[in-house]
Amino acid sequence: MEAHTKMNDVQSTIVTVIEQLLERSNKSDIQVSLDSPIHGDGLGLDSLETAELSAILEDEFGTDPFGAGLMPETVAEIADYYIEGDGSNASVPA
Amino acid sequence: MTTSIGSGSPRTVIVTGGSRGLGAGIVQSFLDSGDRVATCSRSETQAVKEWETNPDYAGRFLFRAADIADREQSTQFVQAVIDEWGAIDVLVNNAGVARDGILALFTDEDSDTVIDLNLKATIHLTRQVVRNMLAHRSGRIVNISSIVGLTGYRGLTVYGATKAALDGFTRALARELGSRKITVNSVAPGYLKTEMSHGLDEAQLDQIVRRTPAGRLGDPDDIARAIQFLVDERNDWLTGQVLVVDGGLTC
Repeated sequence: MEAHTKMNDVQSTIVTVIEQLLERSNKSDIQVSLDSPIHGDGLGLDSLETAELSAILEDEFGTDPFGAGLMPETVAEIADYYIEGDGSNASVPA
Repeated sequence: MTTSIGSGSPRTVIVTGGSRGLGAGIVQSFLDSGDRVATCSRSETQAVKEWETNPDYAGRFLFRAADIADREQSTQFVQAVIDEWGAIDVLVNNAGVARDGILALFTDEDSDTVIDLNLKATIHLTRQVVRNMLAHRSGRIVNISSIVGLTGYRGLTVYGATKAALDGFTRALARELGSRKITVNSVAPGYLKTEMSHGLDEAQLDQIVRRTPAGRLGDPDDIARAIQFLVDERNDWLTGQVLVVDGGLTC
């Protein structure tokens, strides 16, 4: 979890959500960092896993960038959606 | 909060259009099997009032007056169920409307009414529920189509088209979700003794009964039992199919 220490709360929540998603897809050997690309050689999420991530983020934050029509390419871009205010109602769940 | 099929605990079931007719029979069936049932329709009926006040169903029956052809109302209905019970385990897409009349005299307004509810509303509501099912990786979806979508019936062209479309929706969605332990099937009822059959006159109904091997029209419970079979936790290898329940009429 050392990699999470320099992240803010939103970023670290998102990394944790993605790590849990990868774990249940039997991809827990993949390291998640803010600059990880979501698809391809990065986390390698397929379309169904991306949909799952979208649904889980919506559950956590009440909104999600994919559902808002954006196509974030990295973990940091997902976090930016919440930090920069597009997901203005988002707060880190207790 | 997450309950899953197979835990032996009550399932959370959504039945659209459950206030009367076939839908009411499906709601009753899931209340009888001890599950939590949420349903919606445009207006409350006597059946809904009785479920709401029956102490046996306290805490496990939820009704919202909602027209699911209105996307905002549909979204609010699904969100209310998630807020109340968390994970959705079973979705039965039952809400539907029939307008009869030969196509050459059919109005665009009637076409829109039938397509908007039977098809577009079903797709919109299912999308929301699928997102919830994907988040917990389990679920059962049953779409109520009709033998009219398989055989065709004079005067029900648009209705039949929507029901055939639902069967296509069933097959494609089953392929999308199969790897996530979510099954999707259609049940195609024959002619039932419910309001939806009321567009047929007595002579037509007599003819249907004469041609039905089982010798009678269907009851909602005939269909509800087939649905219970499809959503059984053990039936996770049965997906993408259309189960015809019609007393043998189309065999």
